[in-house]
Amino acid sequence: MATIAASRIKRELKEVKADAELIKDDVSVELMDNSYLALTGEIPGPKDTPYEGGTFHLKIIIPETYPFNPPQVSFTTKIWHPNISSVTGAICLDILKDQWAAAMTLRTVLLSVQALLSLPEPDDPQDAVVAQQYKENQDAYRRTARHWACAYAGAKSSSRELDEKVERITEMGFNESDARDALSSTDWDVGRAVEKLMS
Amino acid sequence: MPDVKTPSGPENMDSDPNSDGLKHRAHANSTDADEASKDSENAGATGGTATDSAEKDGAGSQESLFECNICLDTARDAVVSRCGHLFCWPCLYQWLETRPNRQTCPVCKAGISKESVTPLYGRGSTKQQDPRDKIPQRPPGERPEPETQGPFQGFGFGDGGFQMSFGIGAFPFGFFASTFNLGEGGRFMGHPHRPQVPPNPDEQFLSKVFLWVAVLFVIWLLIA
Ligand SMILES: [Zn+2]
Ligand SMILES: [Zn+2]
Repeated sequence: MATIAASRIKRELKEVKADAELIKDDVSVELMDNSYLALTGEIPGPKDTPYEGGTFHLKIIIPETYPFNPPQVSFTTKIWHPNISSVTGAICLDILKDQWAAAMTLRTVLLSVQALLSLPEPDDPQDAVVAQQYKENQDAYRRTARHWACAYAGAKSSSRELDEKVERITEMGFNESDARDALSSTDWDVGRAVEKLMS
Repeated sequence: MPDVKTPSGPENMDSDPNSDGLKHRAHANSTDADEASKDSENAGATGGTATDSAEKDGAGSQESLFECNICLDTARDAVVSRCGHLFCWPCLYQWLETRPNRQTCPVCKAGISKESVTPLYGRGSTKQQDPRDKIPQRPPGERPEPETQGPFQGFGFGDGGFQMSFGIGAFPFGFFASTFNLGEGGRFMGHPHRPQVPPNPDEQFLSKVFLWVAVLFVIWLLIA
């Protein structure tokens, strides 16, 4: 069945590259090698979200049983989002699991992942810490997601205050991404973040 | 020119696989709108749907109309679902085998089963058979409820639609069958791939009661 998978991906790639809507949105897919079973995707952070201005990279692994089973999609760009693991980049999205249908394509997948950035589903979380923050402290969630988009996805206009907090902790000898993780999961309370790093 | 859209094939139905995804309705709708405007432009050409789906494919041919919704190639041993979606039989078969518990159309997620699809016989097909002998009428597009195949299906609670009415309808016959040993060991009649349900104690009790009522009724008839 590997033949259906490869020939379908070949077709879908052509389709994605010719799709006016995707081109306009700067959504793209490329092959990782010649196998047609591993691809990389790129989606811009949607407007009016903390991800705006960032570029997010995806890894798309096509199973040999594609399209009868969904592709495995994960973020390779670090991102702060209730339905995406802040550690592994794994995505919790129904169409990539039990709601997959064989007529769905790379186009569907890319647009759905992009839509997920605009509309988080905190009740079906992948990252419990982010989901809790999203529900209990929307403002902290927005600032953290924005900070991560600037730090990892190339978005501009980061908050100076948050950058300084990360610096303060790195000056104590902690590594930057650990410092960011700790601050992010403690609503940017430096004391609690340091405590967390020490434990 | 809204009449251009009337020869509505599956393309014009709400058949976007995104339809229960997140907020893709927006995307799907805008695509529909685009297609509708293309339709109007092509009002003179034959078959608005053919033209726009060919354009969507970028191939500029009419081939895509007959592409399988799973392998995206021209459908071989083509079958069409009751919701109007076209597949190669091998492709659809594999999809249904992959998801035995959730048999839904890969395009629109309507209920689908191996029995409910209609094969299409073209002129050049191996079986030289007039399609009208087998297919009295082209089936209209429908949206039956998804037919779940869970372990407790067939009892008629919450399954909905077709499955439910069948389950209830067949129930008394199930009693008869087990009571008079006519059936296949108490298996319900009616549905081809319902798993065999061993008669439970309650059911056996009910069967006995049913039998006695029947016997008393016959006796009463004889006396009266
Ligand atoms: Zn096919
Ligand atoms: Zn369908």
